Amino acid sequence: MDNAIYVGLSRQMILERELDITANNLSNVDTVGFKFESMISNDDPVTMPTLGQPPTAVNFVAGVGVARDFTQGSLTQTGAAFDVAIDGRGFFQINTANGPRYTRDGRFRMDASGQIVDQDGDPVDGAGVVDPKKGPVTISPNGVVSQSGQNTGKIAVYNFDSLAALSKDGNNQYRNDSNLTPTAAPNAQVRQGFLEQSNVEPIRQITRLIEINRAYDAIASMMSTTADLSNASIQRLGAVNPS
Amino acid sequence: MQALRTAATGMAAQQLNVEVISNNIANMNTVGFKRQSAVFEDLLYQTYEQPGAQSSDSGNVVPTGVQIGAGVKAGSVYRITGQGALTNTGNALDLAINGQGYFQVLMPDGTTAYTRAGNLSANNQGQIVTADGYLVQPTISLPANTTNITISQTGQVQATIGGANAPTVVGQIQLATFLNDAGLDAIGNNLFDESAASGPATAGNPGAPGYGMVMQGYTEASNVDPVSEITNLIVAQRAYEMNSKVVTTADQMLSTATQTKT
Repeated sequence: MDNAIYVGLSRQMILERELDITANNLSNVDTVGFKFESMISNDDPVTMPTLGQPPTAVNFVAGVGVARDFTQGSLTQTGAAFDVAIDGRGFFQINTANGPRYTRDGRFRMDASGQIVDQDGDPVDGAGVVDPKKGPVTISPNGVVSQSGQNTGKIAVYNFDSLAALSKDGNNQYRNDSNLTPTAAPNAQVRQGFLEQSNVEPIRQITRLIEINRAYDAIASMMSTTADLSNASIQRLGAVNPS
Repeated sequence: MQALRTAATGMAAQQLNVEVISNNIANMNTVGFKRQSAVFEDLLYQTYEQPGAQSSDSGNVVPTGVQIGAGVKAGSVYRITGQGALTNTGNALDLAINGQGYFQVLMPDGTTAYTRAGNLSANNQGQIVTADGYLVQPTISLPANTTNITISQTGQVQATIGGANAPTVVGQIQLATFLNDAGLDAIGNNLFDESAASGPATAGNPGAPGYGMVMQGYTEASNVDPVSEITNLIVAQRAYEMNSKVVTTADQMLSTATQTKT
């Protein structure tokens, strides 16, 4: 009998987690290169010993993982020379003090020495050093950085065989926690003067929000019905003169 | 409930976005103004289950892990230094820079500030000053009975004095460039200070490699594009609404939880 309440509780806990994820998606609806996430939950069968009857399985709800949808976000034109977006699969590699980080956020800039760096001042892998005196910098679709007819670097785009290897690190960056080695992504194109928008689809997230809310409600009412049942049985069975 | 706080970060970010957009729209007609854009980054992630962790003794591996983000923060508000349109004013001391560079302005405290606003004029001593009366560097003095001023595209200032037939060279306009002019520190009044991010200023004559030309009789309009600003405003407002919807949902769920029968 109590199982129903605990099964309900396991579902509610997962729903709260889903709400947290949906809230994070919606707060990042305007974050450059953001990829939305969703909760994967699964049934978690636990076999309960029952007196005098064959054991029955009770299915609790368990969170399995968070799925990340790496669908391409739309590209918007900014016109800035050091804004680049990746069209296709792949990531820019940023060489930070804590090791390489991967990102689809291509808001780069020049630092005081002319090196192409990200917003935190960490160098972009392969981008090289340009001379601010030599005029405009062009970045070709295959990532080659050139200035007044001279190649000064090639912005590298890497991909992973399994994107599940990446953990999010905040600051629009991913960390490679596995032993997978990134490989060059030949089909990805680099677009100068564009930024990739977040791929969060607001309608889907708002719908999910309503679903979560209703599911939570439904579980709450199921739990309250269960409580009523046990209440009723206590009153009936425990009455001195059962009617 | 993390969701309440996450949504609050989203609302705060969109509020900042609206502030930046409103500043752009307010400066739509400011000479030499460069539009700004707020860019966001996701906040830290709380890891409940590490991706790649083992889920059983037999070596099964959690494929994705459980990481839940804590919302969003403003990554940067950066200036888009693209060229603004040149507006013909016909005024002899209106200068627009077509290309890279900033005019150098001597501030009252002795420091040098930089500006793209070329609506210059002469002060009571004949010196070329900005709209606020600050001296343009290097100082150029116009002789008392100047009848005509010509400024070439390379910044040479020539004055026709009195009834003279040929103009006299009275000075040379110089421009300053920066490694990273998006990193300049805006101090208001269309002025910028150099910062660690911008790198030091390098002065040079207009038209030299890496420097823009000066155009006499023109001013540079702001590079604000009203259509894209209004579009951004709509996006910001809707994003704000969606985050407030998360707050409502989290609140309703908390209310459901507190009303559960015990």
